[in-house]
Amino acid sequence: MIHLQQVSVQYPNGVWALDEVSLSICKGDFAFIVGATGSGKSTLLRLIYRDLLPTTGTMAVEGEDVTTLKPSRVPYLRRKLGIVFQDYKLLPQKNVWENVAYALRVVGAHPRDIRRKIGDALALVGLTHRCDSFPNQMSGGEQQRAAIARALINNPTILLADEPTGNLDPDTSWEIIQLLEHINVRGTTVLVASHDSQIVDRMKKRVIQLDAGHLVRDQHKGTYQHCEL
Amino acid sequence: MRDTWFETNTRVLINTVNFRNIEFLVQEAFTGIRRNGLMAFASISTIALSLGVLGAFALMAMGANNFAQAQLGKFQIKVFTDKADLAQARAVRDRILDIKRVKSAVILNRDKEYARLKSEHPNFDFAGVRGDRGNPLPYCLDVRVFEASQTSDVADKIRTIKHVHRVNEAREHINRVLALARVVKIASYAGAAILLITTGFIISNAIRLTLYARRREIRIMQLVGATNWFIRVPLVIEGVIFGAVGAVAAYAMLRIGTIYLSRGVERVARFMDSFSSGAGPGELAGALLIVGILIGAAGSCVSIRRFLHD
Repeated sequence: MIHLQQVSVQYPNGVWALDEVSLSICKGDFAFIVGATGSGKSTLLRLIYRDLLPTTGTMAVEGEDVTTLKPSRVPYLRRKLGIVFQDYKLLPQKNVWENVAYALRVVGAHPRDIRRKIGDALALVGLTHRCDSFPNQMSGGEQQRAAIARALINNPTILLADEPTGNLDPDTSWEIIQLLEHINVRGTTVLVASHDSQIVDRMKKRVIQLDAGHLVRDQHKGTYQHCEL
Repeated sequence: MRDTWFETNTRVLINTVNFRNIEFLVQEAFTGIRRNGLMAFASISTIALSLGVLGAFALMAMGANNFAQAQLGKFQIKVFTDKADLAQARAVRDRILDIKRVKSAVILNRDKEYARLKSEHPNFDFAGVRGDRGNPLPYCLDVRVFEASQTSDVADKIRTIKHVHRVNEAREHINRVLALARVVKIASYAGAAILLITTGFIISNAIRLTLYARRREIRIMQLVGATNWFIRVPLVIEGVIFGAVGAVAAYAMLRIGTIYLSRGVERVARFMDSFSSGAGPGELAGALLIVGILIGAAGSCVSIRRFLHD
């Protein structure tokens, strides 16, 4: 599903964000990417949704070699992925319904299907009653739920979440993670970048640890602090 | 076989602008304008003012050109015959009309001219000029040419005709006015070109500011899988709407301005009647609308490119 082979990323300022990382994520996995700030978690996710290209190495997402993917094909790759961000990235001028609908509009969905699918997605994240609200009228937890609904609307095979609980209180964070687990149980591969040790420890899922761009741990049913080097 | 950039973009554009999407994309443009009202207002105001200045300059330049042309059109060649009788004067007229580039040649009424002269100079003894033989004036012809610049050539040809005694053409005067008209024309073309480019930059910048305020929105659209064309089309439609509304506002300003200005000018200087652009309201509105829409669309396309990184 996601394969990285000796992938390195160097930013224009000379910093190596990832250094020869090799990794495989299989269908149906739920994995946490952990590590300190600047360890390369977000860079790894950006590579997967092709916001960055590796400096060296090869990688494939959903069978597509993203290193040779033409820029015009990038939107089609992203439609197979659902992406959730720490700052939600909802369109500020659109309400919840329109934000979720936008992801369906870009794939040319029929208006009838749009209505049906949005109803299902908002019900799944518990936001049916907030469909007319604009992002600035909602709490952080509600905005993140709306972002998850948008990420799920096209039935992606992979859901990427970059610090999805970074701006949320512990209770709301736990609700969001449970929602992601529920989505994973339905068959979607979920990859979460996080430095929330409580959640990682509590979930006991696969843990991929990065340190200064190096892959230092890949452990099934791991915890956040398992092997401090 | 690998697609070219053009083929790829054409295919993506066709896929984007299908019947199902077009309604959504147009709706997106109007929603974008409504929900970014302040920025839209700023862009439209900038476009209206820029087009207003451009339009005012164009009208003034056209007016100055027309004024210069009208002054040139007033120049005429006066042809005085020798002691020719009416039949000979008619023969002279026919020969003049045979010259190419001559628009008209009219024999002036000798008696009327004589009466006018006498009324203007009542104390002058006209009878003493040639003895009392009635009207002492020779036959005189008023000749006009199609182009003022051809006056000298035509005058030289007329001088060779039999029974022509003298030809007055105000050669130096015409050359001076011609030179002035040429300068006015070149200056107005150059000014219009510079102003058009400046207007293009100002409008493009105004649209870029609007898009800059929405760059996060554009980024989010890319992240949810929107193709660049899917993002671009509503924004270009917005640019076109900005351009069109700005043009209408500029037209309204210019119409009101020209009506008041022409009333004022008429009161101050009657001779300025020929200072008119010659452009009708429809032509002015059409020209502003076309320029507004083109600059709006082009400004959007160029500015969006910067944010899409394609």
